[in-house]
Amino acid sequence: MHLGSPQLHSGVVSVPPFLFEAILYAPIDDTNSTAKIGNGIVFFTLYKKEVGMWDSLTLENASKETLQYLRENAVRKAHEKAKEETEAKKVTKQEHKKYALEATMKLEEAERKRIEELKEQERQKVTKELELWEDQQKYVENQKKVQKEGQLHEEVGQLKEKKKEKNNKTSIPSEETLKTRLKPTKGSGSYSMFSENLKEEQLPAPRSSGTIKINFTSRVFPTALRESRVAEEEEWLHKQAEARRIISADLSELEDLKEEEKNPDWLKDKGNKMFATGNYLAAVNAYNLAVRLNNKRPLLYLNRAACHLKLRNLHKAIEDSSKALELLTPPVPDNENARVKAYVRRGTAFCQLELYAEGLQDYEAALKIDPKNKTIEKDAEKIRHIIQGTMQNS
Amino acid sequence: MAAAAGPERPQVVAHVQQALSYTLFDCKWVPRSARLLCLGSAARGTGVVQLYELRAGRLELLREIEKAKPIKCGTFGAASLQQRYLATGDFGGSLNVWNLEAPEIPVYSVKGHKEIINSIDGVGGLGIGEGAPEIVTGSRDGTVKVWDPRQKDTPVANMEPVQGESKRDCWTVAFGNAYTQEERVVCAGYDNGDIKLFDLKTMSLRWETNIKNGVCSVEFDRKDVNMNKLVATSLEGKFHVFDMRTQHPTKGFASVSEKAHKSTIWQVRHLPQNRDIFMTSGGAGSLHLWKYEYPAQRSKKDSEGAEMGVAGSVSLLQNVTLSTQPISSLDWSPDKKGLCVCGAFDQTVRVLIVTKLNKV
Repeated sequence: MHLGSPQLHSGVVSVPPFLFEAILYAPIDDTNSTAKIGNGIVFFTLYKKEVGMWDSLTLENASKETLQYLRENAVRKAHEKAKEETEAKKVTKQEHKKYALEATMKLEEAERKRIEELKEQERQKVTKELELWEDQQKYVENQKKVQKEGQLHEEVGQLKEKKKEKNNKTSIPSEETLKTRLKPTKGSGSYSMFSENLKEEQLPAPRSSGTIKINFTSRVFPTALRESRVAEEEEWLHKQAEARRIISADLSELEDLKEEEKNPDWLKDKGNKMFATGNYLAAVNAYNLAVRLNNKRPLLYLNRAACHLKLRNLHKAIEDSSKALELLTPPVPDNENARVKAYVRRGTAFCQLELYAEGLQDYEAALKIDPKNKTIEKDAEKIRHIIQGTMQNS
Repeated sequence: MAAAAGPERPQVVAHVQQALSYTLFDCKWVPRSARLLCLGSAARGTGVVQLYELRAGRLELLREIEKAKPIKCGTFGAASLQQRYLATGDFGGSLNVWNLEAPEIPVYSVKGHKEIINSIDGVGGLGIGEGAPEIVTGSRDGTVKVWDPRQKDTPVANMEPVQGESKRDCWTVAFGNAYTQEERVVCAGYDNGDIKLFDLKTMSLRWETNIKNGVCSVEFDRKDVNMNKLVATSLEGKFHVFDMRTQHPTKGFASVSEKAHKSTIWQVRHLPQNRDIFMTSGGAGSLHLWKYEYPAQRSKKDSEGAEMGVAGSVSLLQNVTLSTQPISSLDWSPDKKGLCVCGAFDQTVRVLIVTKLNKV
């Protein structure tokens, strides 16, 4: 139900689907006015804004425009009022929340304070105890100092006595014992040395020297956990494992081969043997077949590159070295040797093609990985000379 | 923030805090006194030794000594109670023993290592432990050497890598098992996670293991008893407590491990007055106080009838965060229960009091 007309003239009761509207004679106070519905009757209790008799309940003789205007006004005013009310509600809600929050904060503060106080009490108690102890320590220190000085005089006196005795007796043993007792405390002031003598018990002699040789825990890779480039190393291991597993599915041609000839490892070994005996073409064939079976093994390419070098197939050598290098990523200590070889072989190929600059690049890369290799160094030097030579000429 | 629950738990009370003008590497209590030493490196690359006295809620500087090389670590462990000589290891690999009353010339000096001495420990002094006073140093050059201040220039024991073996930094050393005149062991922790136990009586390697992460600190719960427990802390927030009473022929010593601090655990120190309580300091500036509980049976027989140890459990008593920088050094006072000093990389030394340790 909606009761309208703040300050204005209309009274509206809407209970859908019914609507009662009356433009009243004079303004009413709508906050206090009520309309009760029940038993088929609507009971209005309207409070007049201004006391006085009305000529009639509704405004008669009002023109349509006036009525319209009044109605609209009334509606508008009603809206505004509603808005204001919601605003007011919001504000009160906020305030309630704030109040609740403050109350909680106060409680927590109180709790915190209580704990702080407990701690403070502890602190003070403990500080007092500590101060007592400190004073005690100071006292003890002072006592010690006094004692020391007293002893000092005593001991100096005693020693003088002993010396006198010694001189009289010329007994060597006592001199020696005096000396050995002096050894333990070297380089310190004379007085404390003497106090040591008289007080210390017999200490065992210094231990006879010994050495214990130790080994450190080895790892798959020689780096500690904190230094390890674990991710890269894992990648490399993974690749290697994969490489061993891949076998290309070109079965038709391979049916003719014997079992062992299908094994890339066996083929690699064969190739190596043939390389060693100088049969480079055969070695290349072996490697080719191995690569067809498993094209992820860097060593196959590496070795084939060496063969091509010997056969003066320089472009192929370069190709194979490059492929090998590609497969030898990520660069980890484990594949250092292989990478050095790849760079060197490619470098050689470049030089034989008279592409000295590229060759030098590869040699320097190899040197970076293995700076201690003298042959690589020498070769790099030679290339540099050649480059300088050609530059001077041209 | 200190855990507030349970007013019966030990509380860590920050007593005094002192800002320093140099990098602090080690702090130690002077035995039988209310004095403490701070060792470190000044900005101009020289070593600093400062002697403070705890007086009425403040640290008063009694003495400041400057040395040529920055000092990394120090110990009173091998000194007698009267003399209280300080043994230090510096960045240049030299071991020096100083008389603090006359610090210009060291009482004993040797350039024992080729690289920085990371850690030092002493035994046989201070009325603790039997046998000759000895100092052990562990260095970045991978060697661990034991020195007797009565023998010049050469160590009495040298634990070095085999020829050709690549070396690993030794980060920490500790003496233990010094309960008779002859018995003694040295435990060393390395940066690759190796922990090695050397028996000095038989001059041999008694046990080794690897805890995967670099070992920052090892300590026996007591140096002067039959070895009981060993705590080893490491990078990545882990520490292990080994029960050293029972050594299995293949499995070695039983251990329990805990994760804490969420960062490197720099130091572990046992309470001198109660060997089952220890404190660990972390890379995030926090201190954790732990208690070890023994199992019902410390050893049991395995399937072949060999004795093997049973590790107990560790419970956290208290934790507190004091700084944002790592707390790199920690020392309990041997004279006052609960008093400890810690030094952090924020160039501050703090004196703390841990309360209610009697009730633990």
